[in-house]
Amino acid sequence: MATILLEVATPDKGEVYAKDINMLITRSIVGELGILPKHANLLTELIPHAMRIKEGGGETKLFISGGFMEVTPDKITILADAAEIPDDIDVERAKSAYQRANERVTAYKQSPKAHEDIDIDRAEAALARAKARLLVKGVHMG
Amino acid sequence: MANLQHIRRRIKSVKNIQKITNAMDMIARSRFNAARDALLSNVPYVAKTKEIMRRVMSQMRGQEYEHPFIKTRDELIAEQQEGAGKFLFIVIASDKGLAGSFASNVFKSAHDTIEYDGTEASTSLDDDGDDENFHKKNFDALKGIKPAGKRTPKQQRQMTATGSVAKAAARQGGADSRTNVSVAREYNDAAYIDGIELITVGRKATTHFKQRGYNIIKSYHGISERPQYKYAKEITDLVMERFASGEIIDVTLIYTQFKSAISCVPDDVTLLPIVTDDYAKASANLKEEYIYEPDVVSLLDKFMPRRIATRIYGAMLHSAASELSSRMNAMSNATDNAQELVGRLNLFYNKVRQAGITNEINEIVGGANALE
Repeated sequence: MATILLEVATPDKGEVYAKDINMLITRSIVGELGILPKHANLLTELIPHAMRIKEGGGETKLFISGGFMEVTPDKITILADAAEIPDDIDVERAKSAYQRANERVTAYKQSPKAHEDIDIDRAEAALARAKARLLVKGVHMG
Repeated sequence: MANLQHIRRRIKSVKNIQKITNAMDMIARSRFNAARDALLSNVPYVAKTKEIMRRVMSQMRGQEYEHPFIKTRDELIAEQQEGAGKFLFIVIASDKGLAGSFASNVFKSAHDTIEYDGTEASTSLDDDGDDENFHKKNFDALKGIKPAGKRTPKQQRQMTATGSVAKAAARQGGADSRTNVSVAREYNDAAYIDGIELITVGRKATTHFKQRGYNIIKSYHGISERPQYKYAKEITDLVMERFASGEIIDVTLIYTQFKSAISCVPDDVTLLPIVTDDYAKASANLKEEYIYEPDVVSLLDKFMPRRIATRIYGAMLHSAASELSSRMNAMSNATDNAQELVGRLNLFYNKVRQAGITNEINEIVGGANALE
């Protein structure tokens, strides 16, 4: 089976992931993308999500907190703000982060005027990150 | 005769200093290990951002594409000829001293870069045609241009430089102007200090440049040993905003590159504008087209700040590792020197003590002889 090299790097943890894979399913700001070997050159921005990596018949998930992806026919480079493999994720922490962000977002949505102090963009980004982290661990939230 | 008590006291104080330098050495050593690890984990990210940037830029070349941060050298020259923008320099040094010549090396390099007037050879580390060292290249390109009407800041700078060089030459009887370059670096040269803004990282840098009358628009203290990405991002936001509004037309970063524990070299890097001409070499062997999602302009708008913040953060990490390794070296040298001094003082002490004893015996013998 054809493979493509996937490299994920972050500013403070170096190379988090480097492996030959069969397929990458990822989410950019314009929508979901499936990358197979020999893909055309592509540069795009990623949103916080749980990335799915297919290799050797199995599938692994990787948390990406947003960043950039460059694809060339034989290599995928992802520059992420943060990237975590399932073992590195603290479910309890992600759950409490999810609850906190969720409360803020719902409160804001109910009455935006009463909650002007809430930075809705930040809260929503935090919610998306927590959701993606939990998804990598196999925990599904609403 | 030297007083025994004085010598004893001196030995004690040298030993105390030795204890302190030794402790500082060990502290620096452990912090250095952390700083080096942080630097090493950052290296792949920086390298990959650079690679992508270079690839995208080589695609840009020759295309009908306009972006405020990307220019060809001709555009840059045209802009600087009419422009009233300032030059911004980001200087990264240390908060604390006792790191040997670490901070002064940075300042020396900073002055060389800031007051560069085209008469010296470039001292930058890499000139392999990528986006590393354009400040001097840009300036060299400007040298050939005659000022049209208004003078550009850089040409003003050159005028001032020639002015003082001429003055000095007159004073010294017309010596070769090259030898008088240092005269051009009169720190209080108001004409070109006006056209310069500084962002300083580290207390030492702030004090140094404040004393010399430079206009510091922002300084960061307390982060030099343990840099954080958010500060790099803050600097980037500030720089991008000022660049976009046209207040500044050139951003150069001056920091210390960490090569190894015994070699840390000051380096300067141009962050903005990005000059496409210098990607010529790279573009020759890259012909493929890229797909941009959603489109190239909005993507570059997002990617460019990232690239700049990454470089600033990388430079901070380099500087932190360099600072700590310089301090380590300085402190272990100080400890060794103290050891040597203690040895010598001990020898001296024993000599004096022995001299005293001999003297006393002589006196007793002399006294006994006198009684006979």
